[in-house]
Amino acid sequence: MSTAPPPPPLTALVIDDEPQIRRLLTVALEANGYLIETAAAGQDGLVRAAQQRHDIILLDLGLPDLGGLEVLQRLREWTQTPVVILTVQDAEADKIAALDCGADDYVTKPFKTGELLARMRAALRRAHRGDAPEPVIQLGKGVVMNLSTRRVTRDGQPVKLTATEYALLRFFVQHAGKVLTHRQLLREVWGPEHEMESQYLRVYLARLREKLEPGDTTDSLFQTEPGVGYRLVEN
Amino acid sequence: MRDESLKAPASSAVWRPPNRPAARGQPEFAAPPARPATATPVSAGIFVGEYFVAFGVFVATSLLNLWLQQWLGYQALALVYLLAVVVLALVVRRGPILFGTALTAAGWSYLFAPPRFSFHIASSYDRMMFVMYFVVALTVGQLTARLRAQRKTELKAKLLAESERLGRTLLNSVSHELRTPIAVITTAADSLGEAGPLTPAQQRLASEIEAASARLNRVVQSLLSAARLQSGQLQPKLDWCDVAELVQVSLRSVASLTASHPIRVSVASQLPLVRLDFVLMEQALANLLVNAATHTPPGTAVELAARQEGRSLVLEVSDRGPGLPPEEVERIFDLFHRTPTAKPGGTGLGLNIVKGFVEAQGGRVRAANRVGGGAVFLITLPVDAAPTLTEESA
Repeated sequence: MSTAPPPPPLTALVIDDEPQIRRLLTVALEANGYLIETAAAGQDGLVRAAQQRHDIILLDLGLPDLGGLEVLQRLREWTQTPVVILTVQDAEADKIAALDCGADDYVTKPFKTGELLARMRAALRRAHRGDAPEPVIQLGKGVVMNLSTRRVTRDGQPVKLTATEYALLRFFVQHAGKVLTHRQLLREVWGPEHEMESQYLRVYLARLREKLEPGDTTDSLFQTEPGVGYRLVEN
Repeated sequence: MRDESLKAPASSAVWRPPNRPAARGQPEFAAPPARPATATPVSAGIFVGEYFVAFGVFVATSLLNLWLQQWLGYQALALVYLLAVVVLALVVRRGPILFGTALTAAGWSYLFAPPRFSFHIASSYDRMMFVMYFVVALTVGQLTARLRAQRKTELKAKLLAESERLGRTLLNSVSHELRTPIAVITTAADSLGEAGPLTPAQQRLASEIEAASARLNRVVQSLLSAARLQSGQLQPKLDWCDVAELVQVSLRSVASLTASHPIRVSVASQLPLVRLDFVLMEQALANLLVNAATHTPPGTAVELAARQEGRSLVLEVSDRGPGLPPEEVERIFDLFHRTPTAKPGGTGLGLNIVKGFVEAQGGRVRAANRVGGGAVFLITLPVDAAPTLTEESA
């Protein structure tokens, strides 16, 4: 669509046992400039991931031989290639387990091509950027966070955050666009001994929303992923 | 699992006091009466039959003993009776065993222990023998019966676990087999435009496919939820949740289905955290909102309110539509139940899922007609004392 010289095509490895899903993803992603390699089973997928370096991996959680989680764990032993999980509804526990095992994101079947592409782009962007964001970040809705001066402003006005609120916001900002599970958030901000005490997260997130987007009940900056966690919407 | 505190007076502002008769349009929410403890006629017949078996065994053993007495002493005959009681214990329940034990003890004393043909026992040695016989026969009989009962429960538990495992496997594979094709159709229809620009007619057809597959996906989702409820596979994951957040997420998830109805939201400020399963409760609220939007004319406002009443959280979805026929109010949550006036479309699953999901979390749901027209659906959940937070020094 753009007139700039095309960048080298991105490569994606699709690991899914359903031939129809593999064919479909191949068509849909190739139309959007990806080079696709497919694997029908976990073992095969691991071999292909090791033989050739891919930019991104799409992994189905319900594989017949190894199970998607096992494949993910083995991948994460040696590579940080972004992994987007393909999963179904009612599989919150699987999503959480995959995210805790190092998956970058997930899409729930049935998904739209646009949604999948957006998730893949975001995961690729984060992989290239690393977890070190710029010192001054525009969060959207007029909220600006300055990591070097530890100041947060909304529409130019300073917002007073407590130490915990600031730590929570900073962790979100460091992983903007990524789903963070309740456990990951609790462990990072409150410490491992509090990782099951979700009441902290609920209360502090409500306070953070109240301070950063008061009275605004439309799409929050902090998107709720029901039963899984939260995602800071990328600006 | 049901929280009895719901019946406490603290929540009587929401729930009808227990002694007031159910008014029209107000369903009775007391738990259904427990089944009467008496056994069904069939098992009662079997039970009486077992006493006849015990009596039969006694008569047969006595006849055998009368024949055997030409070779055996009367004390050895007691052992034959004991053997009969043990055999009896293998086939009948405790009552008949006790009956058989008493019969054989009396029989031995009357027919064989000297003086014969009298319940009187002459020697103290035989009297002791009589008592010991009674105790031993009783103990052996009851132990055998208990062993049998134990084996039966174990077998039952094993069968239950097996059928649960089967149910889960079946549900998973059905879910996979239904969802995969839907995913393929959805994504394929969505990607049609990628291959090249579509004509307006093709565009329309593609969006019809998308709409139909989205609808099919919702039906499959409902069917699977109902199946999970029916098979007892539903294990709610209760966690502290922010009610305002729950309301926002539910509204967003049904935005496209309720677009024709303005939704007025009022969430009380300062609501406590409530322990619930976010995903299930979101689904329940979403179903109520879609239900309201489906059964009221476009443009009719739907109201969604959240407030605390005593020790309950109340989530209320109400509309100004035609309301519920009075005779339907009680049955509206039944599986596959559809009101006679319902428009075509809809599965009769949505409200049943609401009830199942809410009750699985220890809550209750009821429907009623509003004063001034329209229907109201009320979900109440117990509010437990929220854990205290260790606050940081500001």
